[in-house]
Amino acid sequence: MRRVYFRRTAMRWAVFLLPILLLAPHARAAGVAFVIDSGAAAISVVDMATLQEVRRIPVLREPHHLVPSPDGKSLLVGDTAGNEMLFLDPATGAIQKRMPIADPYQLGFSPDGKFLTVAGLARNQIDVYDAASMKLLKRFPVKSTPSHVAYSPDSATAFVTLQDTDRLVAIDLRKLEEKWNQPVGKTPAGVLWLNGKVLVADMGTDYVAQVDPADGRVVAKIVTGKGAHNLFLSPDRKILWVNNRAGGTTAAVDPTTLKVLRTYAIPGGPDDIDFAPDGKLWITRRWAEKVAVLDPATGNYQTVAVGRSPHGLWLNPKAPSPAR
Amino acid sequence: MAEPQGPFAGAVMEDVFGLAAGWVQENLLIPLLYGLGLMRWEDIAFGWALFAVYGACQVVVTFAVCLPLEHWRPVERWPNNNAVWVDALYTAISRIGVLPLVTFVLFYRLQVATNGYLADHGWVPPTLERLFPALLGQQILTFALYAIVLDFAEYWRHWLAHRFRWWWALHSLHHAQRQMTFWSDDRNHILDDLIAFVWFSAIALAIGVPPLQFPLLVLVLRFLESLSHANVRLSFGSIGDRLLISPRFHRAHHGIKAAGVRSCNYGAVLPWWDILFGTADFAHDYAPTGDPSGEEALATGSYWQQQGAGLRRFIRSFSATATPRRIG
Repeated sequence: MRRVYFRRTAMRWAVFLLPILLLAPHARAAGVAFVIDSGAAAISVVDMATLQEVRRIPVLREPHHLVPSPDGKSLLVGDTAGNEMLFLDPATGAIQKRMPIADPYQLGFSPDGKFLTVAGLARNQIDVYDAASMKLLKRFPVKSTPSHVAYSPDSATAFVTLQDTDRLVAIDLRKLEEKWNQPVGKTPAGVLWLNGKVLVADMGTDYVAQVDPADGRVVAKIVTGKGAHNLFLSPDRKILWVNNRAGGTTAAVDPTTLKVLRTYAIPGGPDDIDFAPDGKLWITRRWAEKVAVLDPATGNYQTVAVGRSPHGLWLNPKAPSPAR
Repeated sequence: MAEPQGPFAGAVMEDVFGLAAGWVQENLLIPLLYGLGLMRWEDIAFGWALFAVYGACQVVVTFAVCLPLEHWRPVERWPNNNAVWVDALYTAISRIGVLPLVTFVLFYRLQVATNGYLADHGWVPPTLERLFPALLGQQILTFALYAIVLDFAEYWRHWLAHRFRWWWALHSLHHAQRQMTFWSDDRNHILDDLIAFVWFSAIALAIGVPPLQFPLLVLVLRFLESLSHANVRLSFGSIGDRLLISPRFHRAHHGIKAAGVRSCNYGAVLPWWDILFGTADFAHDYAPTGDPSGEEALATGSYWQQQGAGLRRFIRSFSATATPRRIG
């Protein structure tokens, strides 16, 4: 008798609480977001909980991209026209040190953490550094405008898109020499290793090229939207996200079948993406001075106002809310 | 290392220009570039959109301020003002059209190449913010300091443009206008503009003016320069005229007696340099403007006739018989 009463009471509570739980607003991720304002010579520090920019870190001239160091102790920000690399505290944004480096546009550490590849877009050069000592191992002059960097999972090869000459270059990091340099499309931009192939977003067209990493041959083309610009794999590796610059869309692609699952309207020149623990995507919108925080389930997005020409961004959800 | 904290100074002003440029980029330029297969120019296009928006706003502001002033207290009234329309064309070309694009692209490339080379050799080029780290993030103050340095450089460029015979031959196109209005600031020979660009860029590179700050800096200065050319009886008072160049002060420079290799009041925005180097003349009062020694085409010709006449005078200036002239 008592057991039946308990069961009925539990059922009543469940019926009462379920709608409240379903209707309650999703809890916002805590932490700090760093957004590079390329046109404002600054880094916006955003409170992930309130979606408010709380302050700006001024830099010299024109920062574009950022990447955490392999040990997680620093956040590296490249200031292209300022010709310097800034090392920030990844929790607070405090500047740890500055280093003169020519034209650090795009940058990325190899998966094993041993190499840092820096693409100098304006100066047509790719610099490979020893990540531990930050010693320049070799400079590769290239034609032209190297813009995005990716690696093979074994860290043996770096791939860099050459935007103005429609090519992709592969660099052997063991021998420090060029492996191949092949045409892959029209204004190639974002590049990513996925399932044994290299994917290249082709900004001059509406597709992502699938490239054989052995010889640079294009083996397939996946139509995602006008001006395919950049691409990112979700942390659970279940969705490949592609930003289409000219179309003002973000496409969700099945990474196995390479079929487009859904397309979201993100106007204002969608560019870089990072993933929050609550499943939302933070997307910089270059011409709108905003970051879109997209809920993939609903297709709605909230906006965070930042500075001019927001480009690279990086989320640190473990950091405390940033101080003003 | 202490982190410099910057307020959002200038952010609101940037928002208006930046968002307008963003709209132009997304709705006009990107569809065009994508359709023509020219997406590699999309970053440059955004830079030009910023220039064009700055330029268009500045022309509108100049027009809104100067036109009522010229109707209120004109120095001169003319039966027709056909010559003024050519000056308006100069302004459109110079501030919105092709020149800003070329300026932006050239200056940016030049800065990247020069500074990158220096950084390769472990030497980061000087900037005001490096010399005075407290300036980092203080956009308005930094902006004002850059403006003062560039105005000083502009004083000397202008002084030299009057001193050298060949340079004066080009610059005389600017002085030929007898119907001087706020539009007249941009009536320059294209070679004179080119020299000015090289001069300005060299100085800007030396002191590290940021490329994206460059257009705003130029256009604020140019608004004040337009005002100084206005056909208006306007002085800022005995003290004000010594702080900022007024239409009265600059008109003395354009007076027919001051046209030539020796002149007065060379300053562009600040009269401080004229006062400091003894070239200031506060005595002259709204003299007639023009250059009686030049071809009539320089004053009343079409755009291309003016350019042609300026080029002929430039070539003639190298002949042995040509002598520097001084009027008055």
